[in-house]
Amino acid sequence: MSWPIGLEGARALLAGLGLGVAFGFILERAGLGDPKKLVGLFYLRDFTMMKVMFTAIAVTATGIGLLSLLGVVDIADLSVQPTFLWPQLAGGALLGAGFALGGY
Amino acid sequence: MRTYWSPYLAGLGLGLVVLASYLLMGFGPGASGAFAHVAARVEGVVAPAHALANGYIAGYLESGRLWAQWIVIEVLGIVLGGLLGALTAGRFRWRLESGPATRSARRLLFAFLGGATVGFASRVAQGCTSGVALSGGAVLAPGAWAFFAGFMVAGFAVAWLVRRIWL
Repeated sequence: MSWPIGLEGARALLAGLGLGVAFGFILERAGLGDPKKLVGLFYLRDFTMMKVMFTAIAVTATGIGLLSLLGVVDIADLSVQPTFLWPQLAGGALLGAGFALGGY
Repeated sequence: MRTYWSPYLAGLGLGLVVLASYLLMGFGPGASGAFAHVAARVEGVVAPAHALANGYIAGYLESGRLWAQWIVIEVLGIVLGGLLGALTAGRFRWRLESGPATRSARRLLFAFLGGATVGFASRVAQGCTSGVALSGGAVLAPGAWAFFAGFMVAGFAVAWLVRRIWL
């Protein structure tokens, strides 16, 4: 079996549901269902979001890197967001502004 | 009421979820795409001619049924997972989180403005904190870091302006 599998159809939707449930459950357990904990970052009062997010990025990146070195995963088959530098910078800024306004 | 997990433990779990998504699907989880799918179909019902004349909106409408979209089902899962987490932790309550001196109407108005801004921004950046920053950051996509830089600068600036809502 070669990875990524690239599920399709009903199996993809089932995987999506399961991954989503795990995603939501973990965010709730981390306290990130609370907008005051999220915006707390911008007042230097609560760094939960940074700790969760960057631990997750490090874990995923390490996992993909190791599995690629072992020849389990072909990273050429992974979808990586294409780079549009200015739209992503501007979109990120707008999203940060909206995040501070709304709390999510 | 249960206490929250250590953020590092939660981060480990979240990282494994994102890794599993890359292994099973070939891409990472997102969120804002589901809202775009719903918004496009609302426009398709309210103003079908206008929606089909717009290449971007039409692309969503031509992608098939709403409930067959991976990201829609995934976001539904996030809602269910969050609900499950809150219920099992004894944290489920109807409430509006804000600073102690903020009136509910003001909080809701800013939540609406913030939501509209985030929705627009996620189309500009082709994703949000989940799809671009988290999933993109995990595969070291350069755009994810540009997104993150913009997010932090504007977040700190606007948070200072609206500090009375939260503090």
